[in-house]
Amino acid sequence: MNFSFETWHITFFSLAVGLASTLLILPFGIALAWLFARREWPLKSIVETVVLLPLVMPPVSTGLILLKIFGRRSPVGQWLYDRGVEIVFNWKGVLIAMAVMSFPLLVRSVRTSFAEVNPRLEQIAATLGASPLRVFFVITMPLAYKGIVAGALLAFSRALGEFGATILLAGNIPGQTQTLSLAIYNYVQTGKDSDAYTLLGITVALAFLFVWSSEWMIRSGKNA
Amino acid sequence: MVLGWAQASARGDEILISAAASLTDVLKEINMAYQAKSKHTVKFNFGPSSGLARQIDEGAPADIFLSADLPQMDVLDKKDRLEPGTRKNLLSNQLVIVVAADAKLALSGPQDLLKAAIKRVALAEPSSVPAGVYGSKYLTDEGLWDKVKPKIVPVQDVRATLAAVESGNVEAGFVYKTDAAVSKKLKIVYEVPVEKGPRITYPVAIVKASKHKDAARDFLNYLQLSITKVTFKKYGFIVLN
Amino acid sequence: MLLRCRVPLASFELNIDVSFEARITSIFGPSGSGKTTLLDAIAGLRPVTAGEIAIDGTLLFSTGKGINLPARQRGIGYVPQEAALFPHLSVKQNILFGAGRGRRTDTPPEIQLAHLLEVLEIGGLLDRPVTKLSGGEAQRVALARAVLSRPQLLLLDEPLAALDIGLKERILPYLGRVRDEFKIPMIYVTHNLTEVLALADWVLMVQHGKLLAQGVPKEMLRSMTALEEISGDQIDNVFTATPLDSDPAGGTSRVRTTRGTELLIPCVSAAAKLPLQMRVGADEILLATEEPQGISASNVLRGAVSSIDFIGGEAMVTVVSGEEFLVRVTSSAVARLGLNAQSSVYLIIKARSFRLV
Repeated sequence: MNFSFETWHITFFSLAVGLASTLLILPFGIALAWLFARREWPLKSIVETVVLLPLVMPPVSTGLILLKIFGRRSPVGQWLYDRGVEIVFNWKGVLIAMAVMSFPLLVRSVRTSFAEVNPRLEQIAATLGASPLRVFFVITMPLAYKGIVAGALLAFSRALGEFGATILLAGNIPGQTQTLSLAIYNYVQTGKDSDAYTLLGITVALAFLFVWSSEWMIRSGKNA
Repeated sequence: MVLGWAQASARGDEILISAAASLTDVLKEINMAYQAKSKHTVKFNFGPSSGLARQIDEGAPADIFLSADLPQMDVLDKKDRLEPGTRKNLLSNQLVIVVAADAKLALSGPQDLLKAAIKRVALAEPSSVPAGVYGSKYLTDEGLWDKVKPKIVPVQDVRATLAAVESGNVEAGFVYKTDAAVSKKLKIVYEVPVEKGPRITYPVAIVKASKHKDAARDFLNYLQLSITKVTFKKYGFIVLN
Repeated sequence: MLLRCRVPLASFELNIDVSFEARITSIFGPSGSGKTTLLDAIAGLRPVTAGEIAIDGTLLFSTGKGINLPARQRGIGYVPQEAALFPHLSVKQNILFGAGRGRRTDTPPEIQLAHLLEVLEIGGLLDRPVTKLSGGEAQRVALARAVLSRPQLLLLDEPLAALDIGLKERILPYLGRVRDEFKIPMIYVTHNLTEVLALADWVLMVQHGKLLAQGVPKEMLRSMTALEEISGDQIDNVFTATPLDSDPAGGTSRVRTTRGTELLIPCVSAAAKLPLQMRVGADEILLATEEPQGISASNVLRGAVSSIDFIGGEAMVTVVSGEEFLVRVTSSAVARLGLNAQSSVYLIIKARSFRLV
């Protein structure tokens, strides 16, 4: 095992972008999960399916779609490039790949939490004069928050483990877009086994920590 | 059992050739001609020579290894994975800088890679893949490596480099002249002069663990025939004697 | 207060015009007759596709005029079957949840928290976590929570259904107290005859979404017992009384009811809350045409039959002896005794048949 500066840089980069990606999807994920759990609306089942796709498709497929959307030769990519925003082969590409791949996990988890909140409680709160915002923040969220945190943890660890979409969209550029997963792949390809094992140890430890915390949150939520 | 061996002999063997990605198109064409003449069948495994060498080291059932540089062959040689007496230097190549066919950039030399208009340069993994090793060594010799390095996007092999430049997501890339010829969506803006650039050598050898050495030898001989050399030259390779 | 409700719901239509001079109006009917649906529609908790709901002429909902007041603006309190207390808030926070509701000119005057806590006897529970309350305590807290939000109308959806018999009897008086102390009109949904008789000033009989009849509970008794699911229910006579004196060694206390009937009941402790609420089942009272001798029952009252209702093999005999007593006997017993309205009878009731609430 070999804990060089590089190792720490890669770890820190992965954690930082992973955290940013999770914080980015959190408000959207919560809002969408609530709409799924509490409301019926036209095209709802189509949106549900689309949101679930990155979870089910091979990550490289999702990565390819993202590359096509954000690549320099597409309208979106060109528009962004003209404004000085680069996505492909850039840390922003890492962020987007992580966000897209972990989004469905977050939405599913949060949706389940909201669905488990007794709607009667929200109704009674309304009869007592509470506005929809008050009902959401004082009744729904506090009762669901453990599931939301568990979902965020799960999403975060999924983001950290992201490979297929990341390598296509952001490339494997050391020091710039190289995450833990990408670095391990790189080290294996170039024969740097000892470095690979170091990162392997770090990823296993992180994954263990996150999944355990996530499960603990869910368990303690049920005992409450 | 003797009968079975004779039968197999009559039917011909199937051999697997692990070859550098830059040889993809030329070897396929050579193989078509070979199939017409020989009872043996050939299957290919193209990729970065570094990855291929590693696979063979781990026991992949390749019969022949065609590498894009000497170090990768040396690795296997040192580990005694090669059949003695079969190693030969077969081809050479030239390094070029390419840009997308519709790009408006003009590059007169490697120093132009420092221009602000060039944001990203694709290069096969510089620490192991031959094309990347050649490219980074060249830039180092020109005193440009430190400044160009932050712009480098390391990719899997030369084919991936081609794809990256074609997609427009990088402005330029280093490939072999033979690769540039294959793609219509690229144009060569600079050819690294053979005397100035790194010495590119494609060695070939039979893998020691091969179970079809006779068939392998047969193909190896075919590769050195004059008629085959014509095909190599047609694709832009330099044939070594 | 006038509630007008014309609403098609799911598979049937609800058409109800109710006047609420009465303080507690009961909606009575078997399960599935649309009672909860009706409450949800009135409170604004259920989307309604067509019709009108108005209180005192103020439209809460009207498809014709495109009005649909959201629940939070209707000023209607709701006590559901299962209390539905907010589990993550304390008892105090639950109770105070709706207290800040904005004033509307027609809301009842400020309700004092302390008074409310006293009436419902939940002052000591304020800091208890909601999950540690018993079923009866939870219902009282839910009641307090709804009352404190100063609603113009209080809806109760079978609030005692989830409680066992003993508990039901203990909570019933609290509902009466809320009616008496805070004067909020209440709509009380139930399929329990006793609750109707004990609490309601007016009853609406509903079946399959249709209003069958409405009137004073005691007069509706026959129709109510005719509805399925009811005839097996225990029907209780409920009385309010004050103690006169006690005989601990003999095991009885003498009490006088509000209409002056004196009864002997099991010994009442000095700490009992006054006035006393007690009940005795209609099935537990015996009738005699002659004064019985040498009988163990402590109460033998002379009274007059005021009405007899026959339902199948059963007869519900109303006897007046100061208070009105409902007595359930078999039809053959009535025939055998030759009873009719005007008959003079004796009521025979054991002291131990009276249950204090």
